[in-house]
Amino acid sequence: MTAADEPKGPLSVRLARGLFTLFALAFVLLPIAWLALGSLKTRNEALALPPQLFFTPSFEAYTAIVSKGFLGAFGNSLTIALTNVVLTLLLGTPAAFALARMSGKVQDNLSFWVISIRMAPLFSVILPLYVLFKGLGLLDTKIAVSLAHLTLTLPLAVWMLLTYFRSIPEELDQAAMLDGASHLQILTKIVVPIARPMLASVAIVVFIFSWNEFLLAFILTARGAQTVPVAVASLAGTMSFDWPLIAAVSICSMIPALIFVGFAQRHIVAGLASGAVK
Amino acid sequence: MLDWRFWFVAPMVLALGIVVLFPSGYLVWMSLTHWLVTDPNVYFDGIGNFRVLFRSAEFSSAIGVTAIYLVASTAAMLAFSLGLALAFRSPRTPGALRSIVIMPLVIPPVVAGFTWRFLMNGEMGFIGAFLLPEIGIRTNMLADPTGAMISIVIADVWSRAPFMFLIFLAALQSIPRDYYEAIRLDGANRLQEFLHVTLPMIRPAIVVALLFRVIDALNTFELIYVMTKGGPGRATQTLSLFGWKTAFQNFDFGLAAALGVVMVVVTTVCASIVYRRFLRAPA
Amino acid sequence: MIRTPVRAAALLAATLAMAAPAMAQTQVNVVGFGAGFVWADLFGPSGTEKTQKLLDFEKKEGITINMEFADEEVARQKVLLDLVNGTGNYDLVMLGSDGAVQTFSAAGYLEPLDGHLDSAKDYFDASKVYKPFLEANTVDGKLWALPYYSFGAGVVYRKDIFDKYGITEFPKTTEGLETALQTIKDGLAKDGVTDVYPLTMRGAPGEEPTLDLAGFVYAYAGYPAWFEGGADTPAAIKEKKAKPIFTGDFKPGFDTFVRWAKTFGPPGIATHTWVDMMNLYAQGKAVVLMPSAINAFAGIPGSNVPEVKEHSAFAPSPTGPSGKAVQSFWTFSIGVSNFSKDKDAAYKALAFMTSESAMNAFAEQIGWPYTTYPSIMHGPVLTAKWPKTMLDQIEASFTDADPHYFPYIPELTEFMNQVGTAASEAIAGTKTEDQALSDLQGWAEERMDRAGYYK
Repeated sequence: MTAADEPKGPLSVRLARGLFTLFALAFVLLPIAWLALGSLKTRNEALALPPQLFFTPSFEAYTAIVSKGFLGAFGNSLTIALTNVVLTLLLGTPAAFALARMSGKVQDNLSFWVISIRMAPLFSVILPLYVLFKGLGLLDTKIAVSLAHLTLTLPLAVWMLLTYFRSIPEELDQAAMLDGASHLQILTKIVVPIARPMLASVAIVVFIFSWNEFLLAFILTARGAQTVPVAVASLAGTMSFDWPLIAAVSICSMIPALIFVGFAQRHIVAGLASGAVK
Repeated sequence: MLDWRFWFVAPMVLALGIVVLFPSGYLVWMSLTHWLVTDPNVYFDGIGNFRVLFRSAEFSSAIGVTAIYLVASTAAMLAFSLGLALAFRSPRTPGALRSIVIMPLVIPPVVAGFTWRFLMNGEMGFIGAFLLPEIGIRTNMLADPTGAMISIVIADVWSRAPFMFLIFLAALQSIPRDYYEAIRLDGANRLQEFLHVTLPMIRPAIVVALLFRVIDALNTFELIYVMTKGGPGRATQTLSLFGWKTAFQNFDFGLAAALGVVMVVVTTVCASIVYRRFLRAPA
Repeated sequence: MIRTPVRAAALLAATLAMAAPAMAQTQVNVVGFGAGFVWADLFGPSGTEKTQKLLDFEKKEGITINMEFADEEVARQKVLLDLVNGTGNYDLVMLGSDGAVQTFSAAGYLEPLDGHLDSAKDYFDASKVYKPFLEANTVDGKLWALPYYSFGAGVVYRKDIFDKYGITEFPKTTEGLETALQTIKDGLAKDGVTDVYPLTMRGAPGEEPTLDLAGFVYAYAGYPAWFEGGADTPAAIKEKKAKPIFTGDFKPGFDTFVRWAKTFGPPGIATHTWVDMMNLYAQGKAVVLMPSAINAFAGIPGSNVPEVKEHSAFAPSPTGPSGKAVQSFWTFSIGVSNFSKDKDAAYKALAFMTSESAMNAFAEQIGWPYTTYPSIMHGPVLTAKWPKTMLDQIEASFTDADPHYFPYIPELTEFMNQVGTAASEAIAGTKTEDQALSDLQGWAEERMDRAGYYK
């Protein structure tokens, strides 16, 4: 099968690998642990040095999330991210399939165009995007954010799917054609079922990108459409420095995405794996 | 004749077209316009904005800062995520370990910025005021020009390396085992294995990761803004922060648009070279 | 699963149609920052639920107020986008007196309020608030915004530490204060205290430090020494063709600010904003916080260091060599958008939100010794909480202030930004003071030239 390396190898290699793993875990976990501990402390405990490792945990910050109305932000983020996932897959899957079955210059130029979509720095497109959505009458709607997020997520999705679809042999299409299937049926009846793990991993990656995005979400929405990152930022900007609350919201903001990642970590890797090498 | 492929691609092109083409055109128009909120006269100004931009000392300083940031963070991220992928490539690596190292992926960059800023704070942060002094480093990380850049690179690696790690891990896992067996029969050692099998096999993945990374790095805003606001002074003010300040704090939309256009052109040219050289589909 | 692109497109269209915004009727939309902190009397501690007080107002006046809270920095961008495009989504917009009022009024984005003042006197009576807060919002002879929370300059310091090092009275001059800070610095060093700093100010790049730094410049030069002859309006600058003087009279104040920050401030000061300033003081790690004393009052209530709570004292801002005091003056204000569909209703809502009753509720809620109404300053809420002498001193910091201690030009925001960043560079040592100032001078000359001041 795949996965060439065994974990054995010479002692020096194993030692280096072990040390590096330890270092990496410490590096990755420190800020997360800091957030998690901070969310259970009071403001002053959070600022104390040397840090207090033993303290009476307080869940005040978590109850504050509910009482201060942050749940709405979670709802908004969820709606925006899920709409974005649906749009991305709906638009990206047929396009990537068609691109995979093209060759030569057209395919080349189109794929490059899609990947290069993200090259305009955000600060320069915010005003044009605002003008655009104002013109479309979509300002302050969640759909506007989902559409704007397509510029981040579609290139990613198309790239992942394109390489994957290329690995599905064209003979499969041809066999189906002989049975009288249309291209649409080939896509929906044959390709999509095969690609299900890949589609799942694309969906997760897209979800995460959309969930995390801050600026577009903020600029294009108003009252009642605030997303989680925006809520976190607005906490830190008020005249009190409520670190426990910031930390608690941050920890909670990880949960939906973490659930996905936890469930599907293997799928993501498998999905990416089939796409990455070609 | 329009074949089925056209109809499959058209919806995506249409959707992206709306969200991309109009803003791009608008951007170009803005870049040629004298448009300052502080000045009621808005008029066509030809290359006036570009002239101001290229003369500005902030622009050249931002180019330098961006270059340092781009190279340092990309190199560090590449090394870290490749190392991680190599260490975790075995199928026997517990899934929990992998899940842990990709956790930062689900933390918004704004939050990552706040957390690292707080950790690195030289008077009250766990790392900046406790850990580093313990091991004899007394530099105030965020207020020292070099220290601030290092802090940002660290936070950036923390926040974005997981995605790169996933791409590399996937690439490593799809290298057929026979390749290693073959080279081992020839008596190759670990280093040779890495250089002659692993690296060539994952080269496309590295190129893709770099492509996404470079675009990402040029766009990095929240993380740096939250951590240092581009400071101390202008020591961490990248092009993207400079553009942000120009547009939204100095209200000079024309100048910011000119910067945007320059950045798009430069990135597109670089990316297309990389793309055509390394990535184009085999004909 | 959607089968066809056609159906996909139909679904997309349907989603777009559903998402069309609900049309507002006779509503007043507001955007601001500090949920639960500002207008807690109207929107509750969460900033999301309307209180009885607000509901009563809405019923009586037939106006619905919709509040949107956001992060300060990005909220400003939203306001900007709304105004630049004439969207009119926001009827009331928050404005600082340190740039937004000057820029937006010049750009024609705001409705002058002078003509509205008589229409809602029951809520807001201009004769009842401290004049300087209105002056700060007056540009070109017109009033553009009404003040909410606002502050003047002052010093908050740790009396116990001053006493310990034999300084019994807080110095009245900058010279005296510098000596005192040195004494404290030496004393702390001798006692082996390494994590307490004599002074905390803010030196992050951007506009924030400029509010304070401009106060130093004013105290050293004796006038707003930004342009030749102290020209501080577009008309005056144009008439005299007054050049920037950042390498001239601006320099002594700038140098002092930088020297103090470097010598007496915490090591991280070059990236510190008001949050760091406040936290350091609250954690007992700073002896003096100045000149925006309000940031100390923001930190003290949450402190768990007993000494901070017991031994913090207020002193008037020291005077500089010119005989004028170091300034720091700001008002968080709200103006009416020129694109508002119903400016009269918007003004009425604004008057209600800045009324004596709203400010009294703010005083009750937050308890800082700062307010825009003399009646509240001497009223039961604040006098129960603070000593009378302190309140009198703080009142004097409003009435004696010169709100125009920096120039009132449309380009102010940009200047604030450049000045603050130059200070940050000098403090961090990436440039010398002279280099930072001469770069600033060069930039300013070109910028003013480009804006057509010297034609």
